[in-house]
Amino acid sequence: MNHLSYLFAAYSIIFVAVFLYVILLWRRQVRLEAELLRLEDEIRELARKMAPPEDGGASAT
Amino acid sequence: MRPSLGAAFAAAGCVLVPAALFMVFVYVPTEASQGIVQRIFYFHVPCAWVAFLGFGLSAVAGAFYLFFAQQVWDDIGYAAAEVGMLFCTLVLITGSLWAKPIWGTWWTWDSRLTTTFILWLLYAGYLLLRAMGEENEQVARLAAVVAIVAVLDIPLIVISVRLWRTIHPAVLVTRSGEHGLEDPRMLQTLAVSMLAISALSAWLFWLRLKTLRAKSRLFELRRMLATAQAIGDGAP
Amino acid sequence: MLTGFCALLHKDLTLERRGGRVVIELCVLSLLVLVVLVVAYGPETGGRPESAAGALWVALILSGLPGASLAVAAEHENDCLTGLRLSPLEPATIYAAKVAAVALSMAVSQAATLLLLVLFFNLQFDLNLLRLIPILLLGTLGLCALSTLLGTITSRLRAGEMLLALLTAPLYVPELIAGVKASAAVLSGASLAAVVLPLKILAACDLLFVVCGYLLFEYLAG
Repeated sequence: MNHLSYLFAAYSIIFVAVFLYVILLWRRQVRLEAELLRLEDEIRELARKMAPPEDGGASAT
Repeated sequence: MRPSLGAAFAAAGCVLVPAALFMVFVYVPTEASQGIVQRIFYFHVPCAWVAFLGFGLSAVAGAFYLFFAQQVWDDIGYAAAEVGMLFCTLVLITGSLWAKPIWGTWWTWDSRLTTTFILWLLYAGYLLLRAMGEENEQVARLAAVVAIVAVLDIPLIVISVRLWRTIHPAVLVTRSGEHGLEDPRMLQTLAVSMLAISALSAWLFWLRLKTLRAKSRLFELRRMLATAQAIGDGAP
Repeated sequence: MLTGFCALLHKDLTLERRGGRVVIELCVLSLLVLVVLVVAYGPETGGRPESAAGALWVALILSGLPGASLAVAAEHENDCLTGLRLSPLEPATIYAAKVAAVALSMAVSQAATLLLLVLFFNLQFDLNLLRLIPILLLGTLGLCALSTLLGTITSRLRAGEMLLALLTAPLYVPELIAGVKASAAVLSGASLAAVVLPLKILAACDLLFVVCGYLLFEYLAG
């Protein structure tokens, strides 16, 4: 049954593609979240150093 | 934007995808004329449905983005187009894998194949624009315009491709034969696969949207930081 | 609105008359495309209406894409587009004038292309050529409407020319198919009935692109 290999190929390609996409997204998300944390810390630091109006503006958004 | 919704999609996918696979490989009877390869269709058709849905959503989100100018619509449009593109690619690949044993060729310029391919090309351009253009509002607006024009253009593409390629009779017969799923178990399998792929794509869309939202937030924070620093530099 | 349109169109045409390069560049591009295609087809296939029609439309799309971006890019020099946006003109008027100017430049080069086509492909100078004109005009209008709309942004990007081609070509597919079908039918002297459906598709596409451009241009020109 040679046709079986086509069937197998089709389904494996679907799941490999989805898997790779998820891995890609996951890695991107991890990187972004690290960067976000870093920036938020930086902003908090800056806000503490600076006068109240900037603090209000920074924490409100 | 509750994270629980994404988890719900993931959970639904975890249940439905194995169920669909079980039905495709064990439960459903083999189709008489095409044999075992016909089982590709139980995932091929849902992939096509999800791809078209993704492109449609991207156009709607594009219109909302132009109208309301809120970043979230831009992110939704981008995520939908990307997930749509993924499934459109899968449709072309699985279709090819089905066509080779049944039609004896990987590719033929049949009207439906051609239309799908042109659609794929359209969104390849869209995603390339997103990837290569700078990440600013202008590029986002252009992407929205492209998505809107593309969706409105689809009916014309369908008509013109039919004119270009007067339909392969053999193809049409097989195609209609394939859609006459005579056994009720075939319809059940198709329905479950439809739900499974929908849940899977909704989850992927959710993940992609999450990264895009994080990115938008990042830009926002960077802008804020730059402003704050500028003020800080100016103050003393 | 009409006075603004006329003023803008007049501005573009005056620029073109005073040593503009759009028309010349389009003509040269079309000539090149035709020569390349004749060489690629070989002398035997010349004279077949299908290959002539195909060559005509390849020349149209390959010269039209750079042509439109040239015309739009001209507005980015010295930031003219911002100046136009500051004027009381509506963005839609600016768009309409720009499309008209590009379409006129393209129509001039189309006339030259048609002449060369007859010579290169051993066609006859007869009534069929006149029938080709409305088909070509419809195709030109659609291409200009589309590429002017998309070119407004892509001409500012780094790989803009490539992106414009990549975005425009698939959207333009219906017009390309219908145009080639109609041109081939006309050149081979088929009856008018064979041209009706392609003409309808061409007209529908033009309508779609022009209306979309007219409504959406203001979001891009901001």
